[in-house]
Amino acid sequence: MGDAAFEAAFVTAPAPVNPGLGPLYNHTSCVGCHLRDGRGLPLLGQGPTSQALVRVSLPTGTPEVPGGAVAVPGLGTQLQDHAIFGVEPEVRVMLEFVEQEGRYGDGLAYSLRRPRLTLVHARGARAGQPLAAEILTSLRVAPPMVGRGLLEAVPAAALEALEDPHDADGDGLAGRLNTPWDVARHQAAAGRFGHKGNTPGLRQQVAAAYANDMGVSSPMFPDADGRSELDDATVDAVTLYSATLGVPARGPSSPAAERGEALFAQLGCAGCHVPQLQTGEHPVAALAHQEIWPYSDLLLHDLGDELADGRPDFAASGRHWRTAPLWGVGLAQTVTPGAGFLHDGRARTLAEAILWHGGEAERAREAFRLAPRVDREALLAFLGRL
Amino acid sequence: MRKSIFLPLCAVTLALSACSDDDSAGAAFDDREIITDYADRVVIPTYQLLAQRAQALDAAIAALAATPSQASLTAARQAWVATRVPWEQSEAHLFGPVSASGYDPAMDSWPVNRTDLDAVLASGNALTQAYVSALPEEQKGFHTLEYLLWGESSDKPAAALTARELAYARALAAELVTVTGELATSWTAGVRGATPYRTVFVDAGLAGNTAYPSQGAAAQEILGGMSGICDEVANGKIADPYDAHDPQKVESQFSYNSLSDFADNLRGVLNAYTGDAQAAGTTGRGLADFVAARAPELDARLRAELQAAIDAIGAIPAPFRTAITTPSSYPAIEAAQAAIREVQETIDGELTRVVLQ
Repeated sequence: MGDAAFEAAFVTAPAPVNPGLGPLYNHTSCVGCHLRDGRGLPLLGQGPTSQALVRVSLPTGTPEVPGGAVAVPGLGTQLQDHAIFGVEPEVRVMLEFVEQEGRYGDGLAYSLRRPRLTLVHARGARAGQPLAAEILTSLRVAPPMVGRGLLEAVPAAALEALEDPHDADGDGLAGRLNTPWDVARHQAAAGRFGHKGNTPGLRQQVAAAYANDMGVSSPMFPDADGRSELDDATVDAVTLYSATLGVPARGPSSPAAERGEALFAQLGCAGCHVPQLQTGEHPVAALAHQEIWPYSDLLLHDLGDELADGRPDFAASGRHWRTAPLWGVGLAQTVTPGAGFLHDGRARTLAEAILWHGGEAERAREAFRLAPRVDREALLAFLGRL
Repeated sequence: MRKSIFLPLCAVTLALSACSDDDSAGAAFDDREIITDYADRVVIPTYQLLAQRAQALDAAIAALAATPSQASLTAARQAWVATRVPWEQSEAHLFGPVSASGYDPAMDSWPVNRTDLDAVLASGNALTQAYVSALPEEQKGFHTLEYLLWGESSDKPAAALTARELAYARALAAELVTVTGELATSWTAGVRGATPYRTVFVDAGLAGNTAYPSQGAAAQEILGGMSGICDEVANGKIADPYDAHDPQKVESQFSYNSLSDFADNLRGVLNAYTGDAQAAGTTGRGLADFVAARAPELDARLRAELQAAIDAIGAIPAPFRTAITTPSSYPAIEAAQAAIREVQETIDGELTRVVLQ
């Protein structure tokens, strides 16, 4: 049932099947962005399809929920670039990429592409005008869906034990948990999901995606008039589906990949992309008490100016990102040809993704950039197996 | 849209395992002819046949719009049904550009957004192909066209077709020609600068191939496509409307073509297995040849199970949307589901073990 709901395309009400789309939305279905349960492409404002979205907020003001982002009047905290017939979307979005050159230590040249967004109001008194400069924006692609329940099952205490927010141990890493608002429990909670860890659990992630991405209300996020277009059973089913998508097995090993695994630790990658975690209790028994290999500490780290979005989100600053789990990353472009990496899909290859790292990860990035080519390729061979 | 779960191989039966540190899959598969023939004798001919039939559909819609009559409407409907055949067979390989580049949702989204479709028809907007192309997926593709050609209860007379509906149908058919043409080209020559997907696929295991780092990964993709569509037919296309006994949830409900859709999905699985595309008249070396040499009993059984599943679908009293609310048809529906699930179990279990060892 959750699987079917994940694929269900919503349409304009009234309708006999799946009514309730919009009136503003980014996409009509879950699977439309999480392609084949994988990641979305950095596509916006191109024809009928968006697989990415833009978060917005103001730098100061009263947040929607305690500690959260400050909504932009008339726009909220997420821009919807689509609308049902007869309604104008909030914005017109144009996404371009600007290339910037770099060189490895051995002189080999590479090019990275930086996204450049153009956002123009499409409705209201400001239609046709660009968004005000003070509005903070952050481009996000849909993340892959595998292994989510296992990450949810890692006890918060285990993540807290990995925290070192003031770098007391002097290793240059200052991981901290985000502490977003748990809507159901009305309190702050450990953040695990979202590129900045701004969501505590899968159920809230699912309900928020219905509300914000598809314009479909549910009891957790009802319409302004209190109505729900989805029932709790559907949200529960999609939550269960999200929790139970398995992680693909590793690909075949090779001597290079084995050396790459050692380099992953030696170069410093494993400091944040912590290979192994242990799950605790979970309502889905099959997720509980397992040794898992997500290659993430689920903590926020400062990744430097080059990756910064400048948009704070709960405890995450404009330079913070939650360590992306790397399990399944080697299959990203098998699942979705052309898929990119990092929060906005800017990296076309895993090498580019590494080269974008800065801040706390600068030392590890430089170790990769300056490593002999054979070592770089070994590291990538290891990542390709995951 | 279609289910396209990436088959988790570390726990084929239950997608919950976390994969220990040194699992690996598909290391040993080494039969490049199967991978190459799958691209050249199954996928590409199926997409090319789809593109040809979309052109014939476009011509039939043009003839209908020029001279609306019961005869030209019937011809347009027949062209629509003929175009569904290669599309449904291609759903046994819903990976690569068809999903990533949005061709699947652009062609085959469902349900139809009838509220917005009615609003577009009632508006004064020019119904050009470019205009329709930019509309959301639920207002274009096969099913919107189907709704226009057959109507709500499958009995729309030609005289009921309005000029706006005919103009909309022409734009939809033209857009189907564009999309199916691009889909075929995405494999053969590449579109918008992308590497042809045929190259990506048949070069599995060669240095630098991040999509298919081994031939086993390509074989796994073939198996995942076969398994995925079995799951979709038994547990989605049939189960969703049947469990709810709700004809509104039936796909291809206006044309009464649902059972043909399902059977062609299974024929697509057979094609993927044998390395042939029967409707396109091509034959090649397939996983069946690999299996026949190693486990002939399994080969015979899977072929028999596939035929049994196709026959079981054929045994459901048509139309499917009536069968799901007719208790005397329930045993046939459940028998078909069971037969398809048996095929899927064989693919996920023994076939995967033999191929990926």
